[in-house]
Amino acid sequence: MTMTLNDWTVTEIEVLQEKLYRRSVAPGMDIYVLPKAGYQKKYAAFSTRFGSIDNKFQLDGSDETIAVPEGMAHFLEHKLFEDERGNVSDRFAALGASSNAFTTFTHTTYLFSTTANFDESLALLLDFVQEPYFTAETVSKEQGIIGQEIRMYDDHPQWRVFFNLLEALYHAHPVRCDIAGTVESIARITPELLYRCYHKFYHPSNMALFVVGDLAPDRVGRQVEENLGRRNYRPLGRIKRLSPPEPETVARRRITQELVVSEPIFNLGFKDPAVINLDGDGLLRREIAMELLLEIVFGNSEPLFNDLYRDGLIDDHFDAGYTAEKSYGYTLIGGETRDPEQLYKRVMAGIAKVKKEGFTTEQFERHRRNQLGGYMRRFNSLEFIANNFLSYLFRDTELFRYPAILQRIGKEEVAALLDENLSPERHAVSIILPKK
Amino acid sequence: MLQEIYSETLPNGIRLNFIPAAKFKTISLGLFLHQELRADLAAATALLPAVLERGSRRYPDNLTLRRELERLYGAELSTDIHKKGERHLVSCSMEMVHGKYVGENDGLLRKGMAILAGVVGDPLVENGGFKKDYVAQEKDQLGKEIRSLINDKALYALEQCVAAMCAGERYGVFKLGRIEDLERIDPVSLWGYYRELIAAGPMDLYVVGELERGQVLEAAREAFAFDRRPRPDGIPETVVYHDVTEVKMREEKMPVGQAKLALGYRTNIAYRDPLSPALLVYNGVLGAFAHSKLFLNVREKAGLAYYIYSRLERHKGLMLVAAGIEGGNYRKTLAIIEKQVEAMAKGEISDLEMENTRRTLVNHLRTLEDNPYQMINFHLDGAIGGKSYTTGEIIRGIENVGLEEIRAVAGRIALDTVYLLQGEGPAEEGGAAAS
Repeated sequence: MTMTLNDWTVTEIEVLQEKLYRRSVAPGMDIYVLPKAGYQKKYAAFSTRFGSIDNKFQLDGSDETIAVPEGMAHFLEHKLFEDERGNVSDRFAALGASSNAFTTFTHTTYLFSTTANFDESLALLLDFVQEPYFTAETVSKEQGIIGQEIRMYDDHPQWRVFFNLLEALYHAHPVRCDIAGTVESIARITPELLYRCYHKFYHPSNMALFVVGDLAPDRVGRQVEENLGRRNYRPLGRIKRLSPPEPETVARRRITQELVVSEPIFNLGFKDPAVINLDGDGLLRREIAMELLLEIVFGNSEPLFNDLYRDGLIDDHFDAGYTAEKSYGYTLIGGETRDPEQLYKRVMAGIAKVKKEGFTTEQFERHRRNQLGGYMRRFNSLEFIANNFLSYLFRDTELFRYPAILQRIGKEEVAALLDENLSPERHAVSIILPKK
Repeated sequence: MLQEIYSETLPNGIRLNFIPAAKFKTISLGLFLHQELRADLAAATALLPAVLERGSRRYPDNLTLRRELERLYGAELSTDIHKKGERHLVSCSMEMVHGKYVGENDGLLRKGMAILAGVVGDPLVENGGFKKDYVAQEKDQLGKEIRSLINDKALYALEQCVAAMCAGERYGVFKLGRIEDLERIDPVSLWGYYRELIAAGPMDLYVVGELERGQVLEAAREAFAFDRRPRPDGIPETVVYHDVTEVKMREEKMPVGQAKLALGYRTNIAYRDPLSPALLVYNGVLGAFAHSKLFLNVREKAGLAYYIYSRLERHKGLMLVAAGIEGGNYRKTLAIIEKQVEAMAKGEISDLEMENTRRTLVNHLRTLEDNPYQMINFHLDGAIGGKSYTTGEIIRGIENVGLEEIRAVAGRIALDTVYLLQGEGPAEEGGAAAS
């Protein structure tokens, strides 16, 4: 049920017994407040639609194409934490708040949590994200720090197997590049480039704020309105993201790398080119249907998982998941294994078996119930709520639509995805082998 | 803590701790079995939760068990193995969505508790032992898990540092045990070991959620009714105090891109020591946070590392410092770290550093009660550490820590071991062993 109250649109989320407050603040930013009685912690996430895949873009009314080095969004995230007075996290600490930030493929989020001085902490969050300070000296120092971050990930087998898989699935889409970029790409980042990206992607109309905790929405709304209002933003034209053409086929069937690991790591991916034709709710629906399907085929309550486990081909971290974004989508299946070739064969055969034999209504309903409970359990965590709400928002849908869509999905719809979305022509394999 | 906690002892000696909390969507159950951390027992203890989770008498295989959990709206059953000081704990936990969100009454609590109790107290036994296949498969899995430590180089470096520092002490035992001990374990001996542990060892059951005390007690009595002959907790106390005569240096080479540095310090401060709050502040000023000296000087000023932190193992009284660096910067990094530790001892700490640390720690403590598992862990730490502080007491303690107390902490802290995992790249400026 939805109603309006002062400037707010209030949505009652019956199944979770929560209320979500939403309003728009000039110049065009949506803010969301979810009051959570009884929680000590208050959590705020301030997010921009600027992620690692946004590395080529145009603005409305301009023919100029801006192309930036890989790792730009992440670098900007690091640098925003510093201004002429030093590191911003010190100022959060002085308020008793903990701050952090993260960059994904599609967005960058700045956050804090606190049990005291919420208003001051929110002011600090809004201020530091809206007041960039980049110098040649601080950029150069950050290249060293992020260089070490990249080196850390280079030694990280789970990270490597994942990015190798994306490199195999995609010919040109920037999702195939590491979020942090490379040592070479970040060496090309300058203060001027940072400012250019900043002024496009950090305009409030490209951003959103989500606040959750034992809070009064009106107070938050007034504070944000006042903070943004005094900055005299001019309207921002639409940002046009330019993606190179991406074929439906995979770029490579297989990528193998050697690292210091105790046993091989195997990832199998299926590229999903259909996501580009879906709207927000369509993406969410596809995501839920795929989650159900993957649980039915690979879940630990099903025979395939148990056979593979019994035969020592997988451990209990073996997993299957699906990601749907506006411009890319993929299924990822895998884990550590003593024999990647054998596991590969058995997984492909397992998919073929379910394609041939189908699944029962009992299986389908059991997994549907499992998904519903799993979704609800996660609402203990304020971080989960805020971060996921924003991530769904940026896909033009809403986290709270999950239960209703889950109920609407039918067995046939899920079964159809076996052929449509786990098609052998669109699969690729990534393997990490122990270094001799 | 924590506004309310109700503790009682069930007729068979299981300690039941109930924390009412209306704000959660869930009911969380956590069962902990305590054992001494000992080299010869560690592998067997670590094997237990994995075997138990494979099936109980009522749900004799994973398929049956997992399907029942799915029917309970995706109840999550998980087991784990913990090391707290020189105590080894097996945990078996269950998280369920609260019945009120799915139109069920307390049926879910009873069903969930029965499954958990069955897994722990009524395991699948045949021919006088655990099921043979399960034991064989889980030995194989545990062996793989022990070997897979190497996959996470940062964790590997920390474990190697602790192993070198505490060689010859019980704390030096890896929580998953040794591979060579796995060979000797068979289904009958493992069952015999477990039967003794479950019958006589200390056992804690935690329940967190929007429930009534009577309802919880009744459900727990009904589910956890198995026979026990509990003995008093005879697990030897963790040895905390340790004089360092010489700093140990260890270096290992591996084909990796980033070197990992791990430093092990003895704090000589036990969990229940009056200096405990001061140790938290010390660690906070030095390296626990993004405003700490280590982060500021090693990362922000010198740009040498992406991650650099210090953290405490409070039951054993250890402080570990860890960083991922360029191998060639090893000496430079070590020098900066040691300089920060010296600054702590000299009291070169600004009011702002103290205040930021106090506030950050207080914030962390206050948020404990927003997470069921953190509440459980906090209470369990108190029980194991021999002093059940309330969060309010620790907060007051932290607020009263001044430079005097920091100096007292610094007077007890000693560097024990330096461990470096070095890449096999071109010649470095000299390894840990040479410094």
